[in-house]
Amino acid sequence: MSDPTGDRMIRVDMTQQTATIEPFPEEWKFLGGRGLSARILLDECDAACDPLGPDNLLVMAPGVLSGTSAPTSGRISIGGKSPLTGGIKEANAGGNPGQDLMRLGYRVVVVTGQPADPDRRYALDIDADSATVVPADEHKGKWNYGLIEDLAKSYSETASFISIGPAGEMRLAGASVACTDQEKERNPARHAGRGGLGAVMGSKGLKYVSVDAGKRPARKPANKKEFGALCKKYTKYYLDGPAKEPFPKWGTSVGCVEADALYTFPYKNRVEGRSPDVHTLDGMRIVESFDERGGGMHNCMTGCIVKCSNIVHDKDGNYKTSALEFETLTLLGSTCGIASWEDVADLDRLCDEIGLDTIETGAAIAVYMDSGAMEFGDADGAKRILREIAEGTELGRSIGNGAAAIGRKRKHHRVPVVKGQALPAWDPRPLKASGITYCTSAMGADHTAGLIVEPGQPQEEMAEASQQAQIVNAVVDSSGFCSFMMINLDEVRGFYGEYFGEAMTRERIADMGWQILQDEWAFNRRAGFDASDDVMPDCLKQDPIGPAKWVWDVPDDVVASAYERFENNDALFELRS
Amino acid sequence: MPEVHIPPRYRGPTNGERLVEVTGGTVRECIDAVDARYPGFGELVFDADGKIRLFATLFVNGDELDRGAGDTKVAGNDRIEILAAVAGG
Repeated sequence: MSDPTGDRMIRVDMTQQTATIEPFPEEWKFLGGRGLSARILLDECDAACDPLGPDNLLVMAPGVLSGTSAPTSGRISIGGKSPLTGGIKEANAGGNPGQDLMRLGYRVVVVTGQPADPDRRYALDIDADSATVVPADEHKGKWNYGLIEDLAKSYSETASFISIGPAGEMRLAGASVACTDQEKERNPARHAGRGGLGAVMGSKGLKYVSVDAGKRPARKPANKKEFGALCKKYTKYYLDGPAKEPFPKWGTSVGCVEADALYTFPYKNRVEGRSPDVHTLDGMRIVESFDERGGGMHNCMTGCIVKCSNIVHDKDGNYKTSALEFETLTLLGSTCGIASWEDVADLDRLCDEIGLDTIETGAAIAVYMDSGAMEFGDADGAKRILREIAEGTELGRSIGNGAAAIGRKRKHHRVPVVKGQALPAWDPRPLKASGITYCTSAMGADHTAGLIVEPGQPQEEMAEASQQAQIVNAVVDSSGFCSFMMINLDEVRGFYGEYFGEAMTRERIADMGWQILQDEWAFNRRAGFDASDDVMPDCLKQDPIGPAKWVWDVPDDVVASAYERFENNDALFELRS
Repeated sequence: MPEVHIPPRYRGPTNGERLVEVTGGTVRECIDAVDARYPGFGELVFDADGKIRLFATLFVNGDELDRGAGDTKVAGNDRIEILAAVAGG
């Protein structure tokens, strides 16, 4: 089953605790990851359903090229109706489960239903011949690292895992889905963080999924020789070019200083665009720690050539967390007024353990601090709050449900969210085209939906720039390629063409990206979304940042124009993800 | 006059200006001249030690500069280009 013919899919009914293996529909052949998730949710999920009820679906869809020898192509998308936004959501992650599913020929896992007893826990075991739902009550409430450590004792060393922590089990709207990385310890460090999909998994009583691909080989492309040549060509291009730049060399965390200079390193719940603590949060301090403490850069998934993931050790040289990213340093650090990267590393580990999105959780703590309940910069207090989330206290649950939830509870006016989801680090006041993405993407405020770092961009170019970035990201998030490969649509269609043995035109791949956006928007319309949801919060219209006193001031009609397709397809192909 | 080409990522301080003509005898002086007109631009290019930042790559007439080469001489219609490296999230 390691070639594209004979692909299969797994349907899981958590009401009956059954799993069935079916042929993968031919008409979905070119769909994977985010695009496949969107199509399945649009076709099979009642958009008006309770996101935490039995009618929601949890979709686990590896990218089209996952499991092949294409470099850094093994990402997996987790999809469903989001308990955080109330709309469609996709969050993708690295690690090995996506590749392992695909090497077994499983293009997607679709989970529906809900056990009658919400206190029961189950696991889904997947191998070459079977998919089986089994009881897992003994793992109830376990934190992610302890869970994987225990599972490693009873599963084959070739198994990878998808899991949730206590936040998902408590169905908190900021809960993430963890995937194990390719290290021999199988650290649950790669998270599909955004949108609370861990809560959807928790609502189905599913504590973890094991995927054992054994020694299955990589998937075989239709044009083996040409596909191999393409892999070599792109790998050489990447290693000779982008790989030498600081970001892939040392990871996203070294972007703090540049972001700060661009006024998009938000401080204290975004009342400022820069942090006085940027140099103690800067990822170069992490890089400097490698010599003395160990740790370093590694690939999160087998076959990755980017290797932008850092492994962070504590002062005694012991593993603390991976990967400590720019977004985490910003949201759990700068926006909370926390100055030390070491404190953020502790917070990151706690989030990975409990199964929380670091962006949403950091934003929620910042709102809590800004409301006067806690001093900005109180790192110990922030750690205490995270432990309260795991314990399920009233405060913990409010923070664990995200920035909007704690904002409502505290009756606080400054709550930086779009469609209920907290803004990432990249601030829409200087980066207005990215703001249009936050407003118009079905995903809510999510930089991975289409980031444009172009301050000072003329207003007439913004909507088109946003739309182009959204199309490119939709394709890349469906392909399995990591966006840090900085791949473009011509390269993706080249890989698709040789993999399937069917030439793919520029028009076709661009249309695929646009169709994904159409599917996602259609789902949200059915869920009740309209133009009134495409708005920035008042605080971003009122709190200026930077020397130009940027506020969010893009007119509604300019924002809305991102829904109408622009004609300039050629420009799409100049973008890299 | 030397001309400084501003990459998209660094056009916040320049209010969207893509090309700025300046007076200056070295690359550093030219960047300082842009900064004098558009405060905040210079720190995107040079760090506190006067070195070219990790995320910025500078070219003079197509030739790449080392990080410590801010004192490279320029004159006439020399073209200073800045390539801003990608930083994701």
